[in-house]
This record gives sequence, structure tokens and C-alpha cells, in this order.
Amino acid sequence: MKLKVLPPTLRKNNRYLTLDIKSVSQLTKDELVNIIWDNCVRFQGECNTSNFNLWVMKFYEIGKTDDFIHYKSIVRCQRDFTEDVRSALALVNKYNSKNISITTIGLSGTIKSSEKFI
Amino acid sequence: MFFDLNIKGSSLENNIKLAMEASNYGWEHINFSYNQNDFQNALNLKEDLKENLKDTINFDYTLEIESTNINEIRKNVNKFRNKALCISVVGGDLKVNRSVLENIKIDVLSRPYLKRYDSGLNHILAKEAANNNVAVELCFKDILRSYLAPRAKVISNFRDIYTLYRKFDFPLILSSRAESIFDIKTTHDFISVFKQTGLTDEEIDKSFKTAENILEFNKNRSNLIFKGVRRVDDEA
Repeated sequence: MKLKVLPPTLRKNNRYLTLDIKSVSQLTKDELVNIIWDNCVRFQGECNTSNFNLWVMKFYEIGKTDDFIHYKSIVRCQRDFTEDVRSALALVNKYNSKNISITTIGLSGTIKSSEKFI
Repeated sequence: MFFDLNIKGSSLENNIKLAMEASNYGWEHINFSYNQNDFQNALNLKEDLKENLKDTINFDYTLEIESTNINEIRKNVNKFRNKALCISVVGGDLKVNRSVLENIKIDVLSRPYLKRYDSGLNHILAKEAANNNVAVELCFKDILRSYLAPRAKVISNFRDIYTLYRKFDFPLILSSRAESIFDIKTTHDFISVFKQTGLTDEEIDKSFKTAENILEFNKNRSNLIFKGVRRVDDEA
């Protein structure tokens, strides 16, 4: 049986971060999920990360250059914790000993409006 | 205005890549830093770089002196003072930290906490920095490239410096010291990381203004007769 949907006043308020990801190696969406969770837990701690309500909504491969493969992604987080999430993600620099860089290029209240940064 | 006074300069192609990326991410002015051995060669690249980065981003050069010999630092400062818009010295050694903060000809003491177990600054050095208007530089790369305990120690050193900064109000600047495009982040991300370490919005804004002021001050340095006296041309 499915839980009944909460009324709007009791729902969590979300924000959607558009991430710009540069990676030397190929990435999948599952790997990105791991990277985001690991780095949030590492930088902000388990207790703080529990507030973030993180979810990778969309994941796009944009293109390849000689130096890196370029991805973009939309990640959901809770309204009052966007600064905490973006600082944790900005400090990602290695995955499987390969260079990776994540930076937030957009912040919006809906997935639709965050797609304009893609 | 978002100023980054320390992006590691290298070849022309790499500099262009870094500048383009910085421009995309919202930076308005960057300084490529070269050490005393490469600075003269880098000056030859400047015209080509100007041509390529026209209408993209403002840039200039920082001379980054890396030495533990105080006399060598002094000689290099005197040699390059008229050629470099910003002179910074890499800190970490206590003698270097002190001599740099006492030298009014130097603009920036970069990373006084480098390879140390403490912040490399105390109340006496902080007073000297404020008196001689030498800025203390904190680098984003030191947090980015470290992890777990070393990262915690770097942040702890930053916090010690913030405490002294709030009491003595010496110039503080924040820079990325990016070496590759993987180290450049958006200005908002850069700010949010420093906010997490304990700086306030106003202090971060002030640090960008300080960087701008250093460049402005050095443009007029030739007119400076001695501290507090400047030659002016306007006939008022």
C-alpha cells in the first residue's frame, strides 16, 4: 500500500542545483550519486547530510574535449541547505584516482526552470 | 567585482584555457602568477595573451616569490617592483612570514600556514600586516586538494587567521591558485566554501575589494613619494 501524499504545508521545500561536471574518465548516473553522497557525508558529516534530501534528478552527457568529458546534472536538495551542498560538491577533486570537477552553475525552484542552465 | 590574484600561469594555451573557464564561471579579473625564474619569460607572452583574451576577461601578472632566503626575497622584490602589478611571497617559514609582513614593498603574503602545524601568524605579525598594508592570502586549492585530517587542519588554520583578521583588520584576500581547469569553480561556489569555513558575506566582499585595491594602488605606485604622500597631476 502506498503512503498518502502529504499536504503542501507539510512537504519539504526543494531547490534544484544544476551541476557542471568535468571528468577525465567516463561517468554513469549511479557513480555520480555515489560521488555526491560520499562528498557530502565527508565534508558536512552524517548528521548534517541527513537534512539535505539529496536526489539526482537528471544526468546529461554534453560532450567530449581532449582534456575531459563534460556532463551536466540536476540535483535536488532541501531549500535551506543549498549553500552546504554546493560547498561540499565544489570540493570534489578525485574519483577512482582520476581528476573530476563539480561546480554549481544554476539554482532554481523547479526542474523545468533549472533546465535552462543545461 | 570578482578578483582572483593567484591563478598559476604556465604556457600560452593553458593560460587561455584557464582564462576562458574563469570567465565562464563569473570571474572578472584574474592574475596569472609566475615565480621569479619564469616571470621575465612570462612578460614576453603578455601581448599574445592580451590579443587572445580581448573582450573575455581582464588579466595581469603576479610575481610569486618562492624562497626561504630573506635576502633573495628582498633582491627579487627590488628587481621586479616596477614590472609586476602584484608581488606575493609564499609563506610558511616563520622568518619569511615576518620579513614579508614588515616589508612595505610586498603586496601579499601567500599561505602563511603552508607546511606548518599552526596558522603561521600571531598577534604581532597581524599588527605588522595591518601597519604595512601587506595582505594575507588564503588559497582555495589548499582545501580542495587535501582531504580528511589534513583538510580539517587547513580549515582550522584558516579559522585562526580569521580570528586575528577580525581583531587587527589586516588586508585579507582569497584566491583559487588554480593550476588546471579542474580547479576553477564558479564564484558562488568559491564564496560558499569560504562561508562554510567561517567567513561572513561582508568579509568575503571586502576580500575581493582588497584585491582590487592592491592592483589600483600599484598602478599609481610610481607617483608615491613615500607613505602617505603621492604626486598628483590634476590642477585643481
